[in-house]
Amino acid sequence: MRPISLLLEKPVAFVWRDFIEDTSYKLSFFMQFLSIFISTAMLFFFSRLIGDAGTSYLKPYGGNYFSFVLIGIAFYSYLSVSMKSLSETIREGQMLGTLEALLVTQTEIPTIIISSSLYSFIWASFKVAVYLLLGVYVFGLNLGNANLIGAIIVLILTIISFGSLGIISASFIMVLKKGDPVNWIFSSVSGLLGGLYYPISVLPDWLQRFSYLLPVTYALEGMRLAVLKGYSVSELFPNILALTLFSIIMLPLSILVFGYAVKKAKKDGTLTQY
Amino acid sequence: MSYVIETVNLSKKYPVLKGYRDIFLRPFRKKETLALHDVTIHINEGEIFGLLGPNGAGKTTLIKILCTLVLPSAGRAYVKGLNVTKDEKSIRKLIGYVISEERSFYWRLSGRQNLRFFAKLNNIPNREADRRIERLLDFLDLADDAGRMFKDYSTGMRQKLAIARGLLTDPAILFMDEPTNGLDPVSAHNLKQLVKEKLAGQEKKTVIFATHNLRDAEELCSRIAIIQSGEVRIEGTLEDIKSKFNGSKKYVMRLRSVENGVLEKINSLASVKKIIPASNGSTGPVGVEIEIGHGNGAIHMLIREIVDMGGELFSFNEIEPGLEEMFSEIVGAK
Repeated sequence: MRPISLLLEKPVAFVWRDFIEDTSYKLSFFMQFLSIFISTAMLFFFSRLIGDAGTSYLKPYGGNYFSFVLIGIAFYSYLSVSMKSLSETIREGQMLGTLEALLVTQTEIPTIIISSSLYSFIWASFKVAVYLLLGVYVFGLNLGNANLIGAIIVLILTIISFGSLGIISASFIMVLKKGDPVNWIFSSVSGLLGGLYYPISVLPDWLQRFSYLLPVTYALEGMRLAVLKGYSVSELFPNILALTLFSIIMLPLSILVFGYAVKKAKKDGTLTQY
Repeated sequence: MSYVIETVNLSKKYPVLKGYRDIFLRPFRKKETLALHDVTIHINEGEIFGLLGPNGAGKTTLIKILCTLVLPSAGRAYVKGLNVTKDEKSIRKLIGYVISEERSFYWRLSGRQNLRFFAKLNNIPNREADRRIERLLDFLDLADDAGRMFKDYSTGMRQKLAIARGLLTDPAILFMDEPTNGLDPVSAHNLKQLVKEKLAGQEKKTVIFATHNLRDAEELCSRIAIIQSGEVRIEGTLEDIKSKFNGSKKYVMRLRSVENGVLEKINSLASVKKIIPASNGSTGPVGVEIEIGHGNGAIHMLIREIVDMGGELFSFNEIEPGLEEMFSEIVGAK
């Protein structure tokens, strides 16, 4: 068996590659920080405008809109990365022409794709940390009740279930090159029904039923309850169960679909075309 | 006999992107283009095998199939006995692929950083990778520029880095797709020396060299396959190809004097395929280019007949057909 340090060598090489590339665009790197600050400030002032207007809806999450929306947006960056980074990696490799050079190396396709998206996850974590630090130290966000273990469990399950969707999305990109329906459906519907900017309780009853079909609903709710209300793992059980079921179904399915997509692209000779 | 590379009736069809009209009117009809048709080639260990053909002939498709990047539609292909459709992982350990596409590098990484990254993906331990990278950079005269971002490289430097990347794993089999593209004459010459003397000569690597540059193929390759429209038109050593070329030989002969009607008589001889008077005139030396079919004694009989007809032979030379000439004829034939 290979030592862990050797297993990590390739993912680290990918992260290092992306870090060098990213930091070589110096102004862009700086502007991303600035964007986080500006969006946090906007959310803060927007929540002041709302004031106590939505308290009844926000009560399960502590009653404060700023906390509600900041945790939602910060955490949504993980969902977004899980969904998009794999397909973006493939698309970028096809567009830039680097994918062919990668595929002829002694590294398997899944390692290439997953390792290529690692930097996005690290960057998302960094963004979440900056969001929370700004929230706590500049805008008075209270995270005193947070249950870290519950939050980490929800986070891991969310990454697995959304990562599975991301793999399916990447399979579409592998074959169709552009126009991936999975990403489009989940991104747009999640924004409307998943409870990113408002609790799903504001939706009409019939729409709420659709919300509970989406993993994003359980992910965002679970994270907010763990971070803002300090729910224990047993209290988070319904959310954890839903995300676990989703992961169990979607992960093997996504691997199957991805394998088929790679084979089809190789057969069509379009693996590296865009 | 076991070959390093063997393809048997290898064919590849690519689906053609349908227009909206076809999608609506003929949604189930497949549209395909033939990139390779029944390609059977055998490449021996240690040889430099030239894949020669015009753009779009199918050279790159053949290489991509052998590099496991594309699956064949029909037929079989083996690299060191390994099947390209089943043993992809094992094949990738044996091969190096010099991709001449400059977009295949990371432009904001330096040349050295690019090579280190690809060395890592090829499971080369750090210390060994550094040693190989420095050696290759020195050899390709890139050492002084290895710290510069790839985006600042000239076309020739990018090509050299692609060669360095292909050689990183010290592969037994090296695929080079148009490797002299963009190189200045000195660099191209050095590369060919490297391939011929070091890689094939000393290290006994098998090199598959795809090019449309006839001079490269003529200088380098021990055997050549000329591909056109996805089909191998002719394959063998340069000598084989010359002899197979079209079964005829060309000669230039100069006759001291030609009596009236002698040229017409020569032209009417069965063994003469073509006769082109090089100069004209009823008196003085006359040059004629003669193309005759192969055959035992064909040329001796021709000379005798010309002398019998009153032709006075002044000089006589065989014209060696160049690869360029053969290529034009083969490629132009269809």
